[in-house]
Amino acid sequence: MAEKHIEHHDEAHEHEHMNIPKYFGVFAILVVGTVLTYYAATIDMDWIFPGANTLVALVIAFTKMTFVMLFFMHVYWSPKLIWLAAIASFFWMAIMFAYTMQDYVTRGSGVFTP
Amino acid sequence: MATHVDTLDHEHYHPPGLQHQFEDMKQQEESVSIGMWMFLVQEIMFFGGLFTVYLVFRSRFPMAFAAGSNHLDAFWGGLNTLVLIVSSLTMALTVYYAQKGNRNMQVILIALTMFFGAVFLGVKAIEYTGKYNDGFVPITGLNKKVRADAHADHAAVAEKPCYEVEHGGAEHAYVNPRGDFQWTDCSLVKLAEDGKYLTDAEKVGYFSNGQIDPNKFRDKVRIFFWIYFVMTGLHALHMIVGLGLMTWLGWKAWLGTYGPDYYMPVEMSGLYWHFVDIVWIFLFPLLYLLGRHFMH
Repeated sequence: MAEKHIEHHDEAHEHEHMNIPKYFGVFAILVVGTVLTYYAATIDMDWIFPGANTLVALVIAFTKMTFVMLFFMHVYWSPKLIWLAAIASFFWMAIMFAYTMQDYVTRGSGVFTP
Repeated sequence: MATHVDTLDHEHYHPPGLQHQFEDMKQQEESVSIGMWMFLVQEIMFFGGLFTVYLVFRSRFPMAFAAGSNHLDAFWGGLNTLVLIVSSLTMALTVYYAQKGNRNMQVILIALTMFFGAVFLGVKAIEYTGKYNDGFVPITGLNKKVRADAHADHAAVAEKPCYEVEHGGAEHAYVNPRGDFQWTDCSLVKLAEDGKYLTDAEKVGYFSNGQIDPNKFRDKVRIFFWIYFVMTGLHALHMIVGLGLMTWLGWKAWLGTYGPDYYMPVEMSGLYWHFVDIVWIFLFPLLYLLGRHFMH
């Protein structure tokens, strides 16, 4: 009986990383990020460089995603293998984007149009 | 008491929820979460393919994408983003209360998660209806059919050059007897041409004989709406699957299945729900907000 009790205690302790205020804190960050994304999209940033608006939008989206993954999906306290799976999938996407685009951007202006 | 101690000492003692092929709960939990993450990685690859299509066509026709995006309603898109974030919070709290073994809070929070999921799908339905009415569905016949006598003033609108039709102004005044994809707003191409930042590829794509060709431009905007419907449609399908998952989870939680010893189904369903939220976090700026800074 005693053993079982200790086991319970350990397990409960293991999941004390997040509590309700912390969950609401992450939630607040996500809401702020959403409002910020909308506001940033209304400002013309093309004077910095063309596509600066998209870069800002993606930086905010990646930040929001990082908070969701680390704290809502508990990746922060997950085994190394979970970290590897999560990060590797983004490397895979980066490779797909890069190799696809290096093809399309070198094809000239007539692609998709007769 | 004696029998209880016996079972504890026995090599094959199974805590509630432990499948017989696993040594202990910790091993089971790690296996389950790695399996779920492998599924999510496949989902990332699946949506990654769609994002690649988006990247290829948007890099080729940025102004057509901006024009299409400006005709999506950023209010509904933004509202849906917030709705999904709230549902992610209630989902995360469900996992928290499952770990605490609080049955009532689990059931309430799962119901709330499902409610916000349903609100998301409802908003999506409102948006799709608007696209149907405006003739923005890229499949001929799936738009609202408008006969010639419905708008006595349509001739005046049709005579206007494409780039002079204002946002939201005369959009609805067209005839569309076959339910075709309709596009009458070339204002962004005009703006980009005047500002000298159309790419060579875009000029090939939008112009005929040095003039903006509304038909050619419409076809490029149509690509945007294809991508919009496929990506948001598949995302909505994931939401529907998620609602099914939550129905099952809510029922199991109602029965009091989950507690500190056994909560992995809640945690894994949460991973799925958060993943779907993350996809939307990217879809919102990439579909609804690009080119918004052109609208002054």
